[in-house]
Amino acid sequence: MSTASDTRVRTKAVRGKAQRANGANKAGKPGRSGRERQPWLPWVFLAPTIVGMGIFTVLPIIASVALAFFRWDIISAPSFVGFDNFAEVVQDPTVRVSFLNTILFVVVAVALQLGLALGLAIMVQEKLPAWLRVFFRSAFFFPLILSAASVSIFMRYLFNEQFGVVNWLLSLVGIPAVPWLTTPGGSAAVVILVYVWQNFGFSFLLFIGGLASIPVETYEAASLDGATGWRKHIHVTLPLLSPTTLVASVMAIINALQVFDQPFVLTRGGPGDSTRTAVMVIFESAFQRLEFGQASAIGVILTLIIMAITAAQFRLSKRFVFYQ
Amino acid sequence: MTTTIKRPAAERVVRRSKRDWSVAGRIVLLSIAAVLVLGPVLWTLSTSLRPPAESFQLPPSFLPLDPDFVSYGQVFKQLNIIGLVINSALVTGLIAVGQMITAALAGYAFANLKFRGRGALFSIVLATMMVPAQVTIVPVFMLIRGVGLSDTLMALILPAIPTAFGTFLMRQYFLGLPADLAEAAAIDGASPWRTFRSVYAPLAMPGLSIVGILAFNFHWNEFFRPLIMTISEQNFTLPLGLVSLQGNLGTGSISVVLAGVVLSMIPALVVFMFGQRALRDGLTAGTGK
Amino acid sequence: MPGSNGKLREISRRTALGALGVGIVGTTVASWPRLTGTDIPGRGDNSLSIAIMGTAADAAARQKVVDAFAKVHPDIKVKVQAIQAVDWKDFFTKILTMVAAGTPPDVVYVATEGAQLFAEKLAHPLDEYLRRDADHMKEYFADVHPSLVEAFMYKGSLFQLPIDWNAANMYYNTKALQQAGLERPADDWNHQDFRSTLAAMRKARPSDFTPYYWTNRLFGGVVPWLYANDTSFLKETKSTGGRWLWDSFYANDPTRGMRSGGYQWLEPNADDPKVFESFDFLRGLVKDGLGVRPEEGGGNSLVGLFASNRIGTTPAGGYWVQGLSEAGMKQDDYDVQFFPKWRTQRHQFGTAGYAIMKTAKDKDAAWEWVKFSSSLDAMQIVFPTPNTTPARRSMVNEQLYAGKGPRHWKVFYDTLDRFPSTGPIPAPPQQAAVETALMKNVSLAVSGDERQLKSALDSLQRDLEFALRRQP
Repeated sequence: MSTASDTRVRTKAVRGKAQRANGANKAGKPGRSGRERQPWLPWVFLAPTIVGMGIFTVLPIIASVALAFFRWDIISAPSFVGFDNFAEVVQDPTVRVSFLNTILFVVVAVALQLGLALGLAIMVQEKLPAWLRVFFRSAFFFPLILSAASVSIFMRYLFNEQFGVVNWLLSLVGIPAVPWLTTPGGSAAVVILVYVWQNFGFSFLLFIGGLASIPVETYEAASLDGATGWRKHIHVTLPLLSPTTLVASVMAIINALQVFDQPFVLTRGGPGDSTRTAVMVIFESAFQRLEFGQASAIGVILTLIIMAITAAQFRLSKRFVFYQ
Repeated sequence: MTTTIKRPAAERVVRRSKRDWSVAGRIVLLSIAAVLVLGPVLWTLSTSLRPPAESFQLPPSFLPLDPDFVSYGQVFKQLNIIGLVINSALVTGLIAVGQMITAALAGYAFANLKFRGRGALFSIVLATMMVPAQVTIVPVFMLIRGVGLSDTLMALILPAIPTAFGTFLMRQYFLGLPADLAEAAAIDGASPWRTFRSVYAPLAMPGLSIVGILAFNFHWNEFFRPLIMTISEQNFTLPLGLVSLQGNLGTGSISVVLAGVVLSMIPALVVFMFGQRALRDGLTAGTGK
Repeated sequence: MPGSNGKLREISRRTALGALGVGIVGTTVASWPRLTGTDIPGRGDNSLSIAIMGTAADAAARQKVVDAFAKVHPDIKVKVQAIQAVDWKDFFTKILTMVAAGTPPDVVYVATEGAQLFAEKLAHPLDEYLRRDADHMKEYFADVHPSLVEAFMYKGSLFQLPIDWNAANMYYNTKALQQAGLERPADDWNHQDFRSTLAAMRKARPSDFTPYYWTNRLFGGVVPWLYANDTSFLKETKSTGGRWLWDSFYANDPTRGMRSGGYQWLEPNADDPKVFESFDFLRGLVKDGLGVRPEEGGGNSLVGLFASNRIGTTPAGGYWVQGLSEAGMKQDDYDVQFFPKWRTQRHQFGTAGYAIMKTAKDKDAAWEWVKFSSSLDAMQIVFPTPNTTPARRSMVNEQLYAGKGPRHWKVFYDTLDRFPSTGPIPAPPQQAAVETALMKNVSLAVSGDERQLKSALDSLQRDLEFALRRQP
């Protein structure tokens, strides 16, 4: 994670006074005077966040890790069981399948989400009537303001095998009814589609911003060199956009790894275990079976995986991300 | 309004090198995408405006012609919508304001103040984003019980105020502001607090509004935490109320459920309309590079 | 366009920010009672708290009972807390959360799904009170079928008094039946008759219609087909004891001999050939386009689909009548019949009633509430509409179904009399794990080939073994 703290940002949105001094920024420099006189000052600024996070995030995480070594059902007193919870969890086929599902989901959903967002962002940012651009931007962002639970509720109706609109539309082009929510492949597809439908707008927005900050001169130079159309995007846009892509993909992956609402409302994890995700298994074992120790053990494993993946991304980013 | 938006850089180049048919092609592709995105929402709206017996009408109608508001009346009859909205507004509003304040302060410290362990502390803050809510909810729940706030709106608000993502956004935002502002302020003899309050905080308003809007959007729609933390229905927020429209063993009617879904969209839609531009401008600035 | 009016804007911005700040502080202060829940009436006092599953509307409906109760027991203060939940499993989660939060209710309305979980861990038996008030309770038991009562026996003690219940009967669409050229099926129609009924419906309406629609859940899913075929996915045994109850309240009941100290589900039974047979029958319906693959999760669309004439038949109980009526179905649009016969015609039912929590502060007061709620007066207040079937036989009458149908509403209570072995939803104390194990394998079992069915049942057997091994 440490590289993130080195990230420098030059913003386009700051106008007025700020414009004069654009680019002269170096982290740390501005605060020099404050540090010498009042060493406690930063902590005043930090206190609300640090204390709040300490109480409501860090402490619970520690408690959760501790809980993973106990058997506890809320009603009776907890009893220490060592690594039993981890042993049981690792052997549980449902847990294993749900972790595999989650990883598969992340790979497919994030690829779709980023691909779609990038493609649409490039298309929207090129020459278009202004009102159309505003319309498309708003449209693509719109699903984000809905709750995942509501979206899943109406999507369930749309994907109904017998009476859903989706199958009706497919029937118009001669495709027979697809058993969306009742077969393993079908429900996995629906969960991914619904998730991407709702979330690609966020990455889209990030890409729009990234594209807007690519200097015009770069493109002009590229077109002098004869790069046009898609070649221009591959050779100019993609490399210059790579910092945005890093942020977008890190956020997309972290969110996708924690997917819960969509499979919970759409399929309850079924049929079989085909759409059960890691976070769902945590919820089920904690709040439906009252195995809080086991739930914590699964949570600890999941958190470690998320951290490993994120760390790997930043490591990779050192090689592939191009900072201007 | 649009004159102040910086024209997208790519556009100007393309204008020269592309013919009109490629623009038309792009409009067609974009329109298809827009239809796929908005279609389900329109269907939801039009179905909620039809009597229950016609819920599954095929071919579907996407436009609410000849609307019937029976289902909306039903929603108001079955739910204390006003109470739910008040709760949701209180919870969401206070979380949003709380996040804006704490994120502005912490983001400023991480961006512009130097202190020992800054990098490490910031990494820890970021790392908390990776821990799923399901992992921490039980200890948080016990904590809330310990301070006697079980089953209150406060139990939803307090734990949500410290925000890793908001802090990250604000730090990026402050880093984007020119450094010589602070130097100028220091020369003028302003204290660091004054520098923050009078120079940086006002400039960071666009960034702050993003934190606020994102917090609003997320917590307005939040389902999991209220599901666990609130028990009395007097303390419910909108999404929880909506679930009850589905009825026991699915005896609720679709159009009523969809009417509830549509109603719950409205406040978020209003915030979206007013905040969309700030969000777009600011978000892109915060994470652009 | 920053310019000459910059100063002005600066001032108005400050004013706006100031106003905003005042507004926020004002809102917080003004709504402090709301934020801390202290404005909720009855909070923190020691009135008897009753938790029911439902919405504000349901709690309001109970208020009339509370008022009636207050007339009889002015000394006992009562507050009803409606707890919203998607299904019973969700509701029990909430109750356990309340226990964890240190604010458990005193009395909880519990359905069959959670009866044994509560009996094992949370509830206080009613035995002593029933013995004490035996004379008063005679009238109640005389009006309630012993099958319902037996569902709430656990290891020889009674934990709840049934208030409402529902059996999985078969609803059918009258028009679909007519279009297929068929008459109302006979009371003792069997699974093959059922299949040919579906086939005829399918022939009459080849598209935009499903002859048999079912969802994948514990009630009304695959279990009725298992019961009808004289089997279940769990081995069903009964514990001894409970004679005290049957002897004192059901002395003249013909089925007294078969009553027990409660059901026990200790072993999985998914490897029973009859279980395979039942699943294979359902698989055949799906394969031949007569039935849908069952969906996971809630069955939201069911009422809407049935009311819009898209469904020929579906299993449901008396609780459906009100919903169908609200969705616009007329009395003659549909009807209900017994579930088809196979090796037996044993039905599946679910029931619910109040349980007193072990942690209840004043158990005597709690019992007074339980007792009062089982009285005819109280139950008539609670069930003005047919959105469930009252446990009292005398209340399942013409008046309840007037104008709403179905014509053969008598089927609802007759189910218990005609088929006295009719049993509750199999729900051991480990119900949540058992339910999950069942649901996750049912869809796969019925929507593939025979090999897939075989492996799904193997997996079900394994999952159930695992589930039942857990500490309840």
